[in-house]
Amino acid sequence: MSFFGFGQTADIEIVFDDADKRKVAEVKTDDGKKEKLLLYYDGETVSGRVNVTLRKPGSKLEHQGIKVELIGQIELYYDRGNHHEFISLVKELARPGDLLQHTSYPFEFANVEKPYEVYTGANVRLRYFLRATIVRRLTDIVKEVDIAVHTLCSYPDVLNSIKMEVGIEDCLHIEFEYNKSKYHLKDVIVGKIYFLLVRIKIKHMEISIIKRETTGSGPHVFTENETVAKYEIMDGAPVRGESIPIRVFLAGYDLTPTMRDINNKFSVRYYLNLVLMDTEDRRYFKQQEVTLWRKSDKSRLPLHNPHHPQNLTNPTPQRQLSASSEDNSVRTVSPNAPEILQRSVSPPMPSDKQNGPAQMEKEESDPLPNKMSKTHIDSEPDILESPENDSSTKEPENGTESSLNPENIVKIVEAEKPLISEKPQVVKKPKQQAEKVMVAEKPLLAEKPLLAEKPQLAEKPTLADNETSPSQ
Amino acid sequence: MSIVIFKNKLVNIFDIYHIYRSQAEMTNQASPVEEQEKLLEEALNVVKVQAFQMKRCLDKSKLMDALKHASTMLGELRTSLLSPKSYYELYMAITDELRHLELYLLEEFQKGRKVADLYELVQYAGNIVPRLYLLITVGLVYIKTNTNLRRDLLKDLVEMCRGVQHPLRGLFLRNYLLQCTRNILPDTTEAPNENEGTVRDAIDFVLMNFAEMNKLWVRMQHQGHSRDKERRERERSELRILVGTNLVRLSQLESVGVEDYRRLVLPGILEQVVSCRDAIAQEYLMECIIQVFPDEFHLANLQPFLKSCAELQPGVNIKNIIIALIERLAAYSQRNEGNVNLSVVLEDGKEQEVQLFEVFSDQVAAITQSRTDMPSEDMLSLQLALLKLAQRCHPDKLSYVDRVLAHTDRICADIQQTSGKDHIEHNTAVFKELMKILKLPADHYKNILTLIKLQNYAPLIKRLNQPGRLMIAVHLVNDVLESDTTVSVPEDVDAVLSMVDVLVKDQSDQVEESITEDFVEEQGLMARLIHHFKSESADQQYQILSAARKALQSGGAKRIQHTFPPIVFHAYQLAFTYKELKDQDEMWEKKCQKIFQFCHQTISMLVKAELAELPLRLYLQGALAIGEIGFANHETIAYEYLSQAFSLYEDEISDSKAQLAAITLIIATFEQINCFGAENAEPMRTQCALAASKLLKKPDQSRAVALCAHLFWKGAKDGKQWPLNEASRALDCLKKAARVAQQCMDGGIQAQLLAELLGRYVLLRERGNDALTTNLIQAIIQKIREELANLDQSEEVEQVTKHFHNTLQHLQSRLDCPDPDSLGYEGLQLA
Repeated sequence: MSFFGFGQTADIEIVFDDADKRKVAEVKTDDGKKEKLLLYYDGETVSGRVNVTLRKPGSKLEHQGIKVELIGQIELYYDRGNHHEFISLVKELARPGDLLQHTSYPFEFANVEKPYEVYTGANVRLRYFLRATIVRRLTDIVKEVDIAVHTLCSYPDVLNSIKMEVGIEDCLHIEFEYNKSKYHLKDVIVGKIYFLLVRIKIKHMEISIIKRETTGSGPHVFTENETVAKYEIMDGAPVRGESIPIRVFLAGYDLTPTMRDINNKFSVRYYLNLVLMDTEDRRYFKQQEVTLWRKSDKSRLPLHNPHHPQNLTNPTPQRQLSASSEDNSVRTVSPNAPEILQRSVSPPMPSDKQNGPAQMEKEESDPLPNKMSKTHIDSEPDILESPENDSSTKEPENGTESSLNPENIVKIVEAEKPLISEKPQVVKKPKQQAEKVMVAEKPLLAEKPLLAEKPQLAEKPTLADNETSPSQ
Repeated sequence: MSIVIFKNKLVNIFDIYHIYRSQAEMTNQASPVEEQEKLLEEALNVVKVQAFQMKRCLDKSKLMDALKHASTMLGELRTSLLSPKSYYELYMAITDELRHLELYLLEEFQKGRKVADLYELVQYAGNIVPRLYLLITVGLVYIKTNTNLRRDLLKDLVEMCRGVQHPLRGLFLRNYLLQCTRNILPDTTEAPNENEGTVRDAIDFVLMNFAEMNKLWVRMQHQGHSRDKERRERERSELRILVGTNLVRLSQLESVGVEDYRRLVLPGILEQVVSCRDAIAQEYLMECIIQVFPDEFHLANLQPFLKSCAELQPGVNIKNIIIALIERLAAYSQRNEGNVNLSVVLEDGKEQEVQLFEVFSDQVAAITQSRTDMPSEDMLSLQLALLKLAQRCHPDKLSYVDRVLAHTDRICADIQQTSGKDHIEHNTAVFKELMKILKLPADHYKNILTLIKLQNYAPLIKRLNQPGRLMIAVHLVNDVLESDTTVSVPEDVDAVLSMVDVLVKDQSDQVEESITEDFVEEQGLMARLIHHFKSESADQQYQILSAARKALQSGGAKRIQHTFPPIVFHAYQLAFTYKELKDQDEMWEKKCQKIFQFCHQTISMLVKAELAELPLRLYLQGALAIGEIGFANHETIAYEYLSQAFSLYEDEISDSKAQLAAITLIIATFEQINCFGAENAEPMRTQCALAASKLLKKPDQSRAVALCAHLFWKGAKDGKQWPLNEASRALDCLKKAARVAQQCMDGGIQAQLLAELLGRYVLLRERGNDALTTNLIQAIIQKIREELANLDQSEEVEQVTKHFHNTLQHLQSRLDCPDPDSLGYEGLQLA
């Protein structure tokens, strides 16, 4: 700090009250390392002392004032110079004057509102820090100390589950269910996949957790997808009627709470991506956003005995038809058609970042295939008359869904066909009724594969006795 | 905090996730043998290395690292390249190594050094197959160290295993689950603590695992090319024991009683078996059920089990299943000496004691009715099994056997109707089964009389075609002969003969007409059979014989020539019996007359059948019998017999050899009979002498005429001479014979005839005919000597010489020590 090698200078130290008792949290720094920082929550007082130690005891230090600031800021990496401070609190510690000896100034930011959680992402960083400054004529003496902030949430225990029927017509119909739409960071995703129709040779199925970070606004939106976890939940090819359990423990993964539109600068959202892979390495997937939130540790730990397995399955009762599941689940599906499962047409790239929505964006530029318009003409002349009635434009009440279903993928449009062609009136009826109709029809759809997949009757079995078969 | 760090570490540890499996893995084709060996070896090498590392980490108490190596090792089980056999070897090697991990954890846990959240930790493994193996291993340790977790963990494990839907991998994974939980399934009806679970939970657990494994197993059938069907079925058969082990495990639950079995276990199994609609699985599993569960359980649940049998796939060999069950229960019933308590719940809810047979009979009937696709031979096999059951379990109930036979008969009728044929064709599958059904009671009872009591037995035989009937008839007759059964009632005789009808007479569906060796043999059996028609009572015996004749007479010449002689001989014997009974039975003479009348008829039937030599002999035999018995009016009848024989000789016998034989017999018979007076004797002997002299060949003539000498001179009987003896006529006969002999051109034959003649001279002289003087004898001896001297040496000449010298020796001995009672040979010069 001293340019001339003489003159007085000082070191600043910021000491937090209760530093030894306070919890610490690991926070990634911008260079990717992890740092343990003291952890604060929203509304908590941040207090402590600023200790100024003179390098040359005895001689005085002239200053224009001493202050301590609490700053919360968002740094966008592409806009390095421009930090957005959403919090900036200042405490004056000393008026301009001279310092003659080591001095300790207590400070307190009482009940500070800390609306956001610290975050270090690919393109953005949100941090809180304290900055103590000894203002001087030439160069200020500055000390910055980061703190960690976690935002806690609480949601009622009974949360809506996600239940959805998706498929590709005459190819694959599945129904999946995640027990919640909002998970805390130490939570467990429990769910199941029910196969209604399987005509493709599935090789395996996995769930991945995708983190999508969007920064900027307007035309300058940057989106970064990261596959945080990949978790195989099924091996081999199921048949119709099979139900596969899902259980993913989140605690082990590097996750943050979902952040929506933080200070108009960025968002971090999480998606569960259900991926089925067939034997020709085609991938069929369905993404579903879930909200992640941070739960206070206090409520969890005392109840949990670490030697007692948690979240054991309840053997699944026989699957209920979706009609009865309305009461406790949000049907994020548009009511008149099973949701569409996406299929990536090109073989998947080895890079994680290439799958999922990114790929779909590429395909968006494809022209509308003739086939699609044809199916509509054939099956639904009414609709043809008024193009606004096209079912794909009718759908998008929930924005997330429609964005995941680009209309220009042939398969998707085909999947919609049967319902329209079979029951043209349905479209015009009130939603509730339409839903019922769908329920009634479902078995019809489900029955088809039965015929197609019906095992060829085996001829008389040859009884081979006592062959060298695996014994107990 | 530390847990989180642990977990973070683990996620990295398990980060062996291969997103894109290698191309090779996708092809999923069976590699040739060497390829398999190579793949297996590679996999085993990885296992060896990883297991070593795992154990080293465990020694250093580095559990997380050990888990990582375990997971890598288990990753080998993700392969799609190995055949079931190789996969099995790999599985065995790996699960062997997993045991180390299990033991380590168990020890640590028991020492109280529990690892927090271990059950959760292992679930961070990215790949499902290694994850579930680890989960099972850890779950097992939890259960063993804290039984309070047992119920929930069992449920959890069996549920989580659903994630593996690949048949081979899934089957082995679930097999691992089953093996691990082998000794820890709750096996009490009441749990001290509900979290420990009861046997109900164990049943649910195994049933669920069973259902899932079966589904996977069945699924194998429908994967891959149809050209690989055979290989697939072979592989499935190699794997079936994995599925069957579930049933074994269920059977090992000791607290499962009959009631639990009825309400929970069996319905659970059957539902899965029936609904899987896979013939291979159904057949194997049904047999498994029969084999693994105790007899008592089967007895209590026959109806549901058999009902399910009716619902199985068309391709299933139901017959084998039911037969296996029947045999098992029959054996059980036998062990318990038939004390099998069997009750069924009727529709009104009441229980009723029933017989084992009844249940099976009803159910089998229902099954054969409902399964129209069932091959007829299988239906018959079922009946065969029922028959065995009836015989083994209900030896006292002939009606059961009969019921089966009736049912069989109905099935056969259907078969005939559908095939449009009158009979069951020879050497078809149906035929063979029916044959077995028919032979079973025969061999079981070894008594044709019992078979007669079975009303449906004989009609069933008639379902067979002629060769078939023949086979069974021969079998039956042989049985009678071997078991020495006696048929002693005329009605039974009728029944027996109608049962072997095919042997008795020509059949409408008979093909070949020629008389073969086999035919003769069969008729020989029939003849022997007749000897077993015997009654203690003489009157009944007569009825038996007439019944037999009545039945047999339609058999035609080729049969009656075999079957009538024994009847006739029996009749003769019966006449002797009556003679013995003459003190008790006043009517005996009448009855004897009737018998001989019967015989006469019988023999004349043979005559009508254009037989000659046989009736001739039977007449002669009859004449002898009559002569011996000597009832009233016997002379007339004897004469009739003899004259019948003689007229047969005259009319029917034309062959010269046969003529000689016949006339010899006639003469001999006459010589033996002493009942004739002069009136009957005279025509007889003149006729004989005439017939003898009319023989064509000189040597025959000579011999026959020489024999006629006996007609005129019989030896003394009881010290009395025969009143009709005429010495000179006897001499005339001999002289004529000598004359004829000398007319023979061949010196050897002449010598032979003369030598024979010498014998007769000597014999008759010794019987007291003094017309035959020593001079005459001397002359013949001289003559023979001359003839012999002229002959060249040959075998025949030697024989004649020997014969001659023997006679001379006899004469010499008589000369040396004369018989005081007979005429001597004084003056005879033998030197």
